[in-house]
Order: sequence, then C-alpha cells, then structure tokens
Amino acid sequence: MITQTFPGTLWLIAKLFTLLGVAVYIVFAGVMVRQEHLMANVLEEGSEAILRILTYIHLALAIGIFILALIIL
Amino acid sequence: MPTLFDSANHSPPINAQQKTTANTTFGAGSEHTPMTPLTSFAVHPDSVRFETQEEQETVILFLRQHFIVNVPWILIAFIIAIAPTVIFPLVTHILPISLSIPIGYIIIGTALWYLATLGFVLAKFLGWFFNIYIVTNERVIDIDFFYLLYKKFSEAELNKIQDISFTSGGIFAAIFNYGNVKIETAGEAPNLEFEMIPFPERVVETIRSLTEGLPNSI
Repeated sequence: MITQTFPGTLWLIAKLFTLLGVAVYIVFAGVMVRQEHLMANVLEEGSEAILRILTYIHLALAIGIFILALIIL
Repeated sequence: MPTLFDSANHSPPINAQQKTTANTTFGAGSEHTPMTPLTSFAVHPDSVRFETQEEQETVILFLRQHFIVNVPWILIAFIIAIAPTVIFPLVTHILPISLSIPIGYIIIGTALWYLATLGFVLAKFLGWFFNIYIVTNERVIDIDFFYLLYKKFSEAELNKIQDISFTSGGIFAAIFNYGNVKIETAGEAPNLEFEMIPFPERVVETIRSLTEGLPNSI
C-alpha cells in the first residue's frame, strides 16, 4: 500500500481551487434560478412554484457550502 | 302533406360543425385533464396559460415528451448518487494507493458531489418540464429550451397546416405508446415536429378535426 501525503502549500492551492469551483457553481445555480423565472413567464401551469422553491434551495445550498468551505478548509 | 324533403335547416353551419367535431374528438369537450408536474398529455387543461396566448384562444391539447424519455438521466443520477458510498470505496479498496485527505475536504467534496447531483437532476427536469407542445383552437405551438439558456418558439396557424403525420417505432415506443408527429405547413411558416409525445394518433386526429372546414384544410 502506497501512502501519499501532500505539503501544506499544496493544500492551500487545493483550497483556492475548491473555493473557485464552488463560486463558479454558485453562478450556475443563480443562472438556473433566473432561467426558471424566464421559463415560468413563458408557461403558467400551476407547478412552477415547486420548481422555483427547488432552484432557490439549490442556490442556498451552494452558498452554504461556499461558506462552510471558507470555515473548515 | 308530410314533408319528405326538408331544407338544410337542420344541418349546423360549418363553423358549428367544426367546433362540434373538435369538441367531440376523443371526448375532448367533456374531458378536462388535471395538471400535475408530471403531466405529459392533457386535454383542455384548466390552469395552462402561455406567453402569447390571446383572449379568445383556448388550449385544447397540452403535451410534453413522454415521461419515459427521462429514464436515462434518472438512472445516471442514481449512479452518481450512490457513487460516494458504493463505487468510491470499491475503487480505493482495489487500487493500492491511500491518500491521506483532511476531513474538511472529504466533507466539502461529498457535499459538493450531492449538490452537483441535485443540479444535474434539476437542469434535466427543467429541460423536460418546459419543453412543451400546445394545440389551441387557433394554432399549434412548439416551445423548446436548450441547455437552460436558449429558447425557441415556433408556431403554425391551423389554416396553414397542409399535412400531418405521425411515426412510432421501436419496442419502447410500442410499449409506452409514444411517437413523433410531423406537421407540414404552407408558405414560410416552419414545419413543426412534436417529438416522443404520448398518444400521437390522438394528437393527429385532434389537429385534423380542428382543421376540417378551414380554408386549405388537410
């Protein structure tokens, strides 16, 4: 069994990349919220509220993970 | 003297006939399908309104692709969801490498993994949910969204429709009764294709009955 350990500098770079990745994901989640609004303007059929709530939950989770990453990494 | 031959007073005018035919196609007049988030075929849905709908325009058919088209991405999402608990431990057990990863990265990595899975499911479901076909008493409409960012709105007025046909082939299409409906139009109006919709023969019959009596009808 080969065990590998990385130096502290490498973990700092990993942290920066992780934060950058989560930040990009937040943008994606925001685009999804915006797009759901645009789509719901095209079609009203009664179930859009559920989808809207889900997209907001998705965005909130993404922001939550970013904050968590800032704290624990 | 009894009347042997009567005038055409008893036969309704063409427009009335047309409405009667349209409303009685597969009981469409009395049938009102309740809408749920997973509805893919609805006759006279009550709560549906779309962007460019006019005052006197009523929705007769509301269609999405058959729900079966979602099965591949649902399976992919399921595999992605079980990967951290089943596949990854299996891979690390087989490979002779052990990485000492700090617990913080494991927590954030796992959380991100499941968040990305949720994002994947949401994006796929939104794509299916808002990719719709509508038949009204005036026109046929196809609304498509691509990759969440691009929207395509195509429509053809009923009196522009020249030919309508459907194809249904394959084991799954036969089992779940879905197919493609092709609507060819006159002039510069674009041809429309309803892809993988449920009950394609009912859709063709309904559109055909709506166009009967119209100028240039099929």
